[in-house]
Amino acid sequence: MASSENSTAALPRPGGFASPGPISGQHLSALAVLLVIAVLSLLPMARLVLAAIAPGGEADFAAFAGRLASPAALKAMWHTLDTAFFGALLALCLGTPFAVAVTMTDLPGRKILGFLLLLPLMIAPQVTALAWLHLFGPSSTLLGMLGLAPAPGTGNPMLGRGGIILLYGVQHAPIVFITMRAGLSRVPRDLVEAARSCGARPLGVLRTIVLPVVRPYVVAAAALAFVSGVGNFGIPALLGMPVNYLTLPTLIYQDLSSFGPGVLPQIAALSVLVGALALTGMVFQSLALRGAGHRIVAGTPAQFELGRLRMPLACAGWLVIGLILILPACALLATSLVPSFGVPLGPRTATIANYTEVLVRQASTVRAFRNSLLFAGGAALMLALGVIPMAVRLERFDKHWRRLLGGIVDLPYTIPGVVLAIACILLFLRPLPLIGSLYATASIILVAYAMRFLTLALKPVATAVGQIPRDLDEAAAVSGAGPFRRLRTITAPLAAPAAVAGGLLVFMSAFNELTVSALLWSSGKETLGVVLFSLEEAGLGTQAAAIAVSTIVVVIVLLLALDRFGRRLPAGVLPWR
Amino acid sequence: MRQIVLAALLLASTVAGASAAQGTLVLYTSQPNTDAQQTVDAFMAKNPGIKVDWVRDGTPKILAKLHAEIEAGQPQADVLLIADVVTMEGLKKEGRLLAYPEAKVEGIDAALYDKDKTYFSTKLITTGIVYNTKAPFTPTSWEDLKKPEAKGLIAMPSPLTSGAAMIHTVTLTGNLPEGWSYYGALAKNGAQASGGNGDVLKAVSGGDKLFGMIVDYMPIREKAKGAPVEFVFPKEGVSAVTEPVAILSTAKNQEAAKAFVDFLLSKDGQEVAAKMGYIPARADVALPAGYPDRSSIKVLDYDAAAALANDAQNKEKFSAVMSQ
Repeated sequence: MASSENSTAALPRPGGFASPGPISGQHLSALAVLLVIAVLSLLPMARLVLAAIAPGGEADFAAFAGRLASPAALKAMWHTLDTAFFGALLALCLGTPFAVAVTMTDLPGRKILGFLLLLPLMIAPQVTALAWLHLFGPSSTLLGMLGLAPAPGTGNPMLGRGGIILLYGVQHAPIVFITMRAGLSRVPRDLVEAARSCGARPLGVLRTIVLPVVRPYVVAAAALAFVSGVGNFGIPALLGMPVNYLTLPTLIYQDLSSFGPGVLPQIAALSVLVGALALTGMVFQSLALRGAGHRIVAGTPAQFELGRLRMPLACAGWLVIGLILILPACALLATSLVPSFGVPLGPRTATIANYTEVLVRQASTVRAFRNSLLFAGGAALMLALGVIPMAVRLERFDKHWRRLLGGIVDLPYTIPGVVLAIACILLFLRPLPLIGSLYATASIILVAYAMRFLTLALKPVATAVGQIPRDLDEAAAVSGAGPFRRLRTITAPLAAPAAVAGGLLVFMSAFNELTVSALLWSSGKETLGVVLFSLEEAGLGTQAAAIAVSTIVVVIVLLLALDRFGRRLPAGVLPWR
Repeated sequence: MRQIVLAALLLASTVAGASAAQGTLVLYTSQPNTDAQQTVDAFMAKNPGIKVDWVRDGTPKILAKLHAEIEAGQPQADVLLIADVVTMEGLKKEGRLLAYPEAKVEGIDAALYDKDKTYFSTKLITTGIVYNTKAPFTPTSWEDLKKPEAKGLIAMPSPLTSGAAMIHTVTLTGNLPEGWSYYGALAKNGAQASGGNGDVLKAVSGGDKLFGMIVDYMPIREKAKGAPVEFVFPKEGVSAVTEPVAILSTAKNQEAAKAFVDFLLSKDGQEVAAKMGYIPARADVALPAGYPDRSSIKVLDYDAAAALANDAQNKEKFSAVMSQ
């Protein structure tokens, strides 16, 4: 393989597959990438389409079409598109300024702000939604202090379309932040300084130089926020269902509690619809990425001085972080310290009984922490490392193939977790040759996580790899470096910020993930999401809050450890440095 | 691999002619995590040869898991312990349940188990009214929720996502004189149906709403911890879900499954349920603290088979009535 790579004819050409030899390394690696994407992304979707069209083995297209065209499904589809689109826009508006502030300015406290902006990903969407509902409700402590608390019985303004869009923006802003941060950290200083020395103002530089250069990252961030909105269940469940504003995930959840053999094909059919919506996001992506991309040699990142605006902007930043993170987190903490929900927190009522109950007396909690750490950490590591060679090979595919494959990889992330779990059960219940049955083992959860979160790792890394100049690679090839050596010494270090960003996104999403593991866990392999949700369902909200707070603490400790380790890494690799 | 070991164990147990049930029992349940663990631990203490592998999730999700396994051709569960009888009727109609005519049902009301002995109720979980101690009045009847003082202050679980809530809806509309207009009146009074019992408890004890329809054990348990809530058994009567247990027709370890059913219906098993805070099905086991006398609780009747057959229509009717 090394020798065919060294000949000039085997050097990558823009567009299309390279052609030399009967079966070259190029072809093999292309096949490998296609196989991975087929197994991780196409297989579950294909099994779902099969379950939708041919339940029990007999094809029934008429019933399938009927399910898709029902008025409830169409209305839910429109609601999903609507809220996901505007939610992504809002997330972009919230996340990008933070990314710019942390990466390219001298805002005071920007490192801590960047660190804190990661944490809302750790708070489950249901918890965020509940905290905001509570904030605007009659029992809100904040509004009570300001004298603005609404009278009991008035409708909550958070319910319905507006509240859902607002919370999508809040919940997905960290995704935009992490992705944009990885891109902005590579904008070289000389471009910015050249513009400044010609007299351009900072905002003008941002508008005409920085944002066009990182346009692929903006599009990737918006796409991730969009598909996250399409597949989000927790927020529309709490804010939409009480007022009968249904999106596809909540409609699917409702259909889940029906009886009879028609349930599985019904939810499979609706999930196919969700997948189709995710693919429309792909169309928007293509439109937004028209025109040549930019390839830049990495240098030291640019820096702006904010001058008089330092303090006002810092205050604005802390205000936003306060609303997005600190308020829900404080609400969680307050809930975890009272013996029962509704008891006001005071010096005489405060208790740590919830913590001792869940951490010490219930063996399932410690087990769940261990399992979630293993599953989320394992998936994050596997994906962060595995997508780098995948992205390198994908980059040489035709533009249209790349977009199509990117859209396919999105699919398992957008469909509701419970449906992906059902697809995994259908696929892996029966024993596979050589491996045996994966069902009721830890492996099935790892595989499901790999399927679900592949896109979170692939998008930032594919964007990064797409920006690495080809001449670096070609120079190394001409000098005799084989493909693996080039991967290790040139591509991987340049793609490292994006890979770490992707790995963090995967870890944060998988750590307190609920819906996929709910159907796939087996005795002794419960995850944190499963335990937390069980406590919520049982009306033990204070114990659930104790677990949620412990989870946040564990993640902060892990991130601090990563920070210590990251001192030796170049700037920009860790999102908050 | 596990199946080979299991098969070997079963073979060994039959060859040895052992009469005690042995091996692994796979339980799918919708009880909360802690309750499931307590039940399983108590059962394993009484039956040392059996190891229980259990999984819990809300009834719709655990049924989705079971149906996916059936679709894939290898259902894994031996025994099911889920919230309501209507779901069991559905499984019975699909032919998925194994009849157990020798089950020891002495001491249990015949209305609480299937006449063909395919499923057996283990508890009585009634739905009544919870109110916050700051509420403007103390409700004593379902009709009190229609009062103008309760406008916008009522929380209830949604029958669209909860089978137990659907049973409650079917029971009230079947027993109250005004039928479905009762829910129409509630909708006009600003009631919103959302989520499950845990959400109703949060809303009422947190003060966002002041009245709610909820299962009995939750507010009774939380009141003992200091929550500002009270529970009322309304004077017309209450609906009940009964947490039935059933053996699947595809069960791999039928002996252990039968032992599990026997345990749940025995005095020991029923006392475990009482200790966890539920009303036990057996009449000779005392109710837990905080409950009134068993004789004063009036449980309203409903037709489970009709509830199953009309489920889709009932859901549509509920959506239509509540969105006025």
